Amino acid sequence: MGEQTSSVAEAALAALVHLKEDIEGALLDTAEGINEYRIRHLSRKQGQITALLKRIPDVAPEDRKRFGLEINAAKDRVEARIEEATAAITGAGTASAASVDLTLPGRTQAQGSLHPITQARRLITRVFENYGFDVAEGPEIEDDWHNFSALNFPPDHPARDMQDTFFIEEPGTEHDGILLRTHTSPVQIRIMEEAMKEGEPPIRVIVPGRVYRNEAISYKSYCLFHQVEGLYVDEGVTMADLKQILHAFARTMFGEDVRMRFRPSFFPFTEPSAEVDIWWKDEDLPGGGRWMEILGCGMVDPNVLEGVGIDSEKYTGYAFGMGIERIAMLRYGIEDIRTLYENDVRFLEQFS
Amino acid sequence: MIISTNWLADYVAHGLSADDLSERLTMCGLEVESVDQIGNDLEGVVVGEVLTAEKHPDADRLSVCTVNVGASEPLNIVCGAPNVAAGQKVAIATIGTVLHLPSRDNPDERVPVQMKKAKIRGQESHGMICAEDELGLGDDHDGIMVLDADTEIGLSFSDYLTRQGIPTTDNAIDIAITPNRPDAISHLGIARDIAALTGAPVTPPQVLIPESGGAVAQRMSVAIEADDACHRFVGIMVEGVTIGESPSWMKSRLQAIGLRPRNNVVDITNYVMYECGQPLHGYDADTLAGGRIIVRKTKGESTFVTLDSKERTLPDATLMICDGDREVGIAGIMGGENTEVSEKTTNVFIEAAWFDPSTIRRTAKALSLQTDASYRFERGVDAEGQAWAAKRAADLMVELAGGTIVDGMIDIHPVPYVAPVISLRAKRVTDIVGAHIEPSEMARLLEAIGFGVSQTGESPVTWDITVPSFRPDVEREIDVVEEVARLFGFDNILEPTHSRVPNFTPGIKGDRQLRERLRDLLQGSGFRETCTNSMLPIATADAFNAPALPGGRFGGESVQTLNPITTEMAALRPSLLPGLLKVMGHNQNHGQAALRLFEFGRVHTKRKTNLSLVGDYTEVESLILAASGEWMAQGWYGEARPTDLHDVKGVVDLVLSGCGLSDIRYSESSADGPGAWGLDVMIGKRWIGSILRIDDEVSKAYDLRDAAFIAELDFTALCDLATAGLRVRFTPVSRFPVVQRDIAVVVDASQAAGPMISTIRQSGQPLLQDVQVFDLYEGEHVGAGNKSIAFGLRLGADRTLRDKDVDKVVSRILSALDAEFGAKLRG
Repeated sequence: MGEQTSSVAEAALAALVHLKEDIEGALLDTAEGINEYRIRHLSRKQGQITALLKRIPDVAPEDRKRFGLEINAAKDRVEARIEEATAAITGAGTASAASVDLTLPGRTQAQGSLHPITQARRLITRVFENYGFDVAEGPEIEDDWHNFSALNFPPDHPARDMQDTFFIEEPGTEHDGILLRTHTSPVQIRIMEEAMKEGEPPIRVIVPGRVYRNEAISYKSYCLFHQVEGLYVDEGVTMADLKQILHAFARTMFGEDVRMRFRPSFFPFTEPSAEVDIWWKDEDLPGGGRWMEILGCGMVDPNVLEGVGIDSEKYTGYAFGMGIERIAMLRYGIEDIRTLYENDVRFLEQFS
Repeated sequence: MIISTNWLADYVAHGLSADDLSERLTMCGLEVESVDQIGNDLEGVVVGEVLTAEKHPDADRLSVCTVNVGASEPLNIVCGAPNVAAGQKVAIATIGTVLHLPSRDNPDERVPVQMKKAKIRGQESHGMICAEDELGLGDDHDGIMVLDADTEIGLSFSDYLTRQGIPTTDNAIDIAITPNRPDAISHLGIARDIAALTGAPVTPPQVLIPESGGAVAQRMSVAIEADDACHRFVGIMVEGVTIGESPSWMKSRLQAIGLRPRNNVVDITNYVMYECGQPLHGYDADTLAGGRIIVRKTKGESTFVTLDSKERTLPDATLMICDGDREVGIAGIMGGENTEVSEKTTNVFIEAAWFDPSTIRRTAKALSLQTDASYRFERGVDAEGQAWAAKRAADLMVELAGGTIVDGMIDIHPVPYVAPVISLRAKRVTDIVGAHIEPSEMARLLEAIGFGVSQTGESPVTWDITVPSFRPDVEREIDVVEEVARLFGFDNILEPTHSRVPNFTPGIKGDRQLRERLRDLLQGSGFRETCTNSMLPIATADAFNAPALPGGRFGGESVQTLNPITTEMAALRPSLLPGLLKVMGHNQNHGQAALRLFEFGRVHTKRKTNLSLVGDYTEVESLILAASGEWMAQGWYGEARPTDLHDVKGVVDLVLSGCGLSDIRYSESSADGPGAWGLDVMIGKRWIGSILRIDDEVSKAYDLRDAAFIAELDFTALCDLATAGLRVRFTPVSRFPVVQRDIAVVVDASQAAGPMISTIRQSGQPLLQDVQVFDLYEGEHVGAGNKSIAFGLRLGADRTLRDKDVDKVVSRILSALDAEFGAKLRG
């Protein structure tokens, strides 16, 4: 039996010496060549090294260790060469680039997008955050007190008509009027009420949010839209400060050379009040453009400050409010406000 | 309100072009919305004399005329007017002239038409003999305009009009009047502001106001029984008037501001209202029973026929004007049919009163009837302007309707006007405005618009400001500050070069930070953000007010508005789902099959909870993910694959780990909703949303072509839970390698993977770091009714693991799986 096993080992080792020529010498410059090399040596059924490994049990015990080491070394060598050669041909498109079609398009990834109202709101809030404004939010279902009374709207103000405001509960009933807020200004009151619980001004905050108006739907008005409200209450706040911050805002949104003007206007909760227009260039118009209203603003009415317990002799403040849709429509050249709420993918994908 | 620039020029010689005027008005708070040029200069229209006018041989209604326009040869003109006759002086539009003629489709609209040589039924015509409407002078098209007989032939028609005091062109400036400017709803009111801005004086018409009493007081008596609502009633009588047309100049002014001329008396009352802002009413004095006027309120509901022949239902306590027998007008809103001025009227009683603004506003609202009069009374007319206006109208009636004024005036004035005096500090003005304005300049600006200024202090400068009677809106110091600021000019306020920022810490709210982070994350995952309407039909809101969705979770009713625009928008959304389904249907019908959408938005329910801020309503923010169609498109690299629930589940995992949340649990949804089947999403024991495969019936209703999968999460609850997760704490990274072991087990084909993963997690402690399902197999190799699940296990510790440590854990896992699920290691 010893004779036998010893001869098995010798025959095998002899075969291995013969194999080594191919193991070291085979030309491995194509994927096919590498594959054939792998099959020739390592495949389960045809591999010559596999075959030698299967013969280990037949080798005499005293020879087995040496025999095993030899064959395993040969196997490692084959694997190393395959790895090396594969790396060489798949590596950065050198000689073997021919085997990869580099002109095929990349694998498609689904593309997402943010709604233009979100994008405009982010731009707007970022400007004011840079100027040290906090950001707050408030409820869309609001009470008559915060939406109107606390903002110095007289009891029979036309805005309180059913024509303009969606009511949920009528004034004079249990909760004395609940409605869908018509502007983000009620959040001013909530913020000041909250601030006065803890102390005193300064208050410096902007409030983005959805608001509702009971208006017929058309290309220029929808039953809801989004506003950003701003409020700064402190000692020594003036209209000059208001002009400055809004000018900084307009420059960011519409360019360094933006022309803007402050027109006296009227809001119940600010006095003096103003509307702000920017000059919108349009070569097709007679004057080369026109003034476009972008926001309303003013100095917080003393009645509003006193109503929440702020001393209107010590503190003054400014407030402003703008429609996000209006800014977005101007920036992106959207003409029909309804486009914003239709959410046609062909529209949304333009904001990717 | 529309003003005419020609008319305005009567009261202030401002010397400004229409555009400059508009700019100045806008910048002092009277926003100009539009400027329309009216009429044209009528170039090419000349005065001619009709030499002959013969009947057209082939047309009964036409005449063939020869007209001398001062040229060597007379012109041949075919004319259709019935009143054309030889010897008339007429206005001729010669060839080449452009006239703005009323459009055939819409008589209120004018279109430019150029005169051309024409043949009309075989007869040559070299121009047109014009009617008033063709010249833009009125609506009259009954016949050609016949000019004064002594007018010279060949005179340009615009010169003719100028001699008559009628300018050929005018500008209609439409001004948006804010509620704080009742003084500016008239030409004189606007003139006051223009005068203050330009320094030119205001020149109102001269009116001599008669003494109270006199002969008129013998013929009419006035009693005010509701002096809370009527502070003053002035009456003047004009007798012997002849009702007729107003002169052209008055008609063209009224037309310029959009009013239709009626007759001289009615036109005069309108004219004076637009001149000074005081509404007037003219009664046919002979129809006023008993020579009496009583101002009183109705008792109980009643009806009344206004002069537009409509029967109105009056609520209780409506302020009415009555005569000896009956009601004759709704005070401050509209007169009655029973006493209106008619063609037969000879004696007119003019009413000029002051009515309480809120009384008139309430009535106008109750009747849904807004008139020029109510518009002015609601805002507050000049408390001292009644006598001037009544006498001004009477003077015009004498001039234009041939009447005579009955001596004296009735002036019942139960509540005398007291001018408010307001204390003003110069420093307060600069503190608010932030610009340096000299006190003397402040005083000058206020005096220019009629405020009385009396200095009360030198250092600091203070004044007593007397408010003029036409500015009822000015009640407080801040109102006076606004007047100074507006006249000083907001554009003259210089911006500071530096911005003061208070020394406080702006907080960054977690929910906003989280929302923006998730927006970016979802965009990066191929989802497109939508923005849908919050308002739905009630039936839709009710259908989606389901416990499987964030709003319906609270178990309240849908929130409805009392006054929806349409039934399509009568309720507030309890879920973002119906909005997204609509968007998906729209897009799939417009060729976009593969959809991945998301939206953040508030949802509402009527239920008092600890989240309620207002009334019995709960408002939370929801986040919805929705996908339909192919998740993977077919490409050269692989086959297409439709979206399934696990795609959405994977994104939910991403969202929740993006919130820093762990302990995410899913369980089969049992709650009712629009889903065919789905999962509840829990963080620990708290429900935060659902993942649903939308029921086919629902999909069909929304016109969806492919199955839709959605996840709707209560974002408010997520924020609540995520607060701690947002604060990232660093954990040292292990220096030791991890070990990967794969196991495949065979279980019954119905066995769910979820519980097995939980068991692996538990029994793999403390070395097991992660477990994945990397393969599922059913088929011949595992036997019928069985399946193989392959788990990838990742193990590690703060030391190098030895094989036997790993083997021990793996065999513990295997025996636990065997014990609980009968799972056998796959051979």
